[in-house]
Amino acid sequence: MSDLLANPAVQGGVAPFVAGLLVAVLLGRFRLGGLAVAAAFATAVYFIAGFNFSPLNATRKIILLGFAAPIAGIVVDFAFRPTRLGSIILAIAAAAAAAWVFWPVLSQKELARALLPGATALLAAAWVVGYSEQRLAGDSVRTAASGLALGAGTAVAAIFGAALTYGLYGAAIAAGSGAFLLVQMITGKRSYAGATFTLSATVVTIFIASAAMILAQLPWYSVAVLALVPVAAGLPLPAGAALWLQAVLSSFYGLVVAGIACALAWHAGG
Amino acid sequence: MSFKLAAGLFAATLPLAAAAAPESFTVDPYHSFPYFEVVHLNTSVIRGHFEKISGKITLDSTAKTGSIELSVPTVTITTGDNDKGSRPRSRDEHLRSPDFFNVAEFPTMSYKGKATKFNGDHPATIEGELTLLGVTKPVALTVERWNCGPDPRTQGKRYFCGGNATGSFKRSDFGMKFIVGPVSDEVKLWLSVEAFRD
Repeated sequence: MSDLLANPAVQGGVAPFVAGLLVAVLLGRFRLGGLAVAAAFATAVYFIAGFNFSPLNATRKIILLGFAAPIAGIVVDFAFRPTRLGSIILAIAAAAAAAWVFWPVLSQKELARALLPGATALLAAAWVVGYSEQRLAGDSVRTAASGLALGAGTAVAAIFGAALTYGLYGAAIAAGSGAFLLVQMITGKRSYAGATFTLSATVVTIFIASAAMILAQLPWYSVAVLALVPVAAGLPLPAGAALWLQAVLSSFYGLVVAGIACALAWHAGG
Repeated sequence: MSFKLAAGLFAATLPLAAAAAPESFTVDPYHSFPYFEVVHLNTSVIRGHFEKISGKITLDSTAKTGSIELSVPTVTITTGDNDKGSRPRSRDEHLRSPDFFNVAEFPTMSYKGKATKFNGDHPATIEGELTLLGVTKPVALTVERWNCGPDPRTQGKRYFCGGNATGSFKRSDFGMKFIVGPVSDEVKLWLSVEAFRD
């Protein structure tokens, strides 16, 4: 049993998917099904790194943010009405969080070498969080498809960038998003996603992608392409299409863009 | 007569007293390397080393005291696999990533220790602390060989010491938990060091 639980495919895929599926089913009726992705991520963290936060390095800061994001999402969903201003505030908060995570690393580099990855990390965080909250959070299918593609793309790109642990975290987000999406596809009913789901999925994935860029070898332009996944997942769908078809098409659009990011990561190594 | 004898004896002991004072040495980066080994998939032993090291050693053979401070730039790690070939990245690139040494965030690892046991004039055991990935834990080193003398490359103008020391630690104690099992948790150290007297 311990060998099974030590298998990376279980730690980053199967176990997070099961946890996400349980949460999506059990909490969906309380408008908290979006916590599926947080449950998936927490499951992966438990198996991969454990809940140890000392010393507080960049990866552990991202894990902390991954736990804070669903809490912030619940507050946003239940205490505020979604507005453009709210999305802008969340985008700025994401950029500030990126600075908190990556500044100690970037400050050790020369300015010329720190500028591009630093700017990419801040802009990608602000863009992905702000855009997803503004355009996708109200559509539980598109935002779940975006989470699925963003998670899968981050997973593969991070592995190509020599960061397998980050790859597993990305896979966990994809698994949780997939579970949330699968429940909707099977029941044919939309769940409530909101900021609870959207923040949980976007914060972890884009920060993991940026960490793979700054701490490993993922090229900056792969991160930039990954940041376009939410845009792809929001592309127009056939009018009146069944929910399952919307889910498949939206995921496909996102995965195509994620695939481009992965291809760029593969070729960046030489 | 007895005063002259005493003065003569005192004068004769002066060089010995000078030799017995604590001496400071600077690590020779060209002949000093920290090596390590892990077991891969419970089969072969994979060895690697760091290509750069700096540090200081103090030694007082008479008082049986000594200390060592070493600093290693983690980016210099190599296991001989620098070519990615058909893979996305080489093993050395992977070892530099956050999965293992996280060199961008923790560019240096260090070791500080004191010689606690001597075998004759030579240090035998070093009790110290290894700092890796921002975590500091005790790691003891056993000195396998140690020798000092004039450096023959300078016709004896320089005095130097050198030897080997071994130790081990669990990488998970330092937060390096990636695939513990397939790659052994225990890391064996083998330190090769030479140092010139300041």
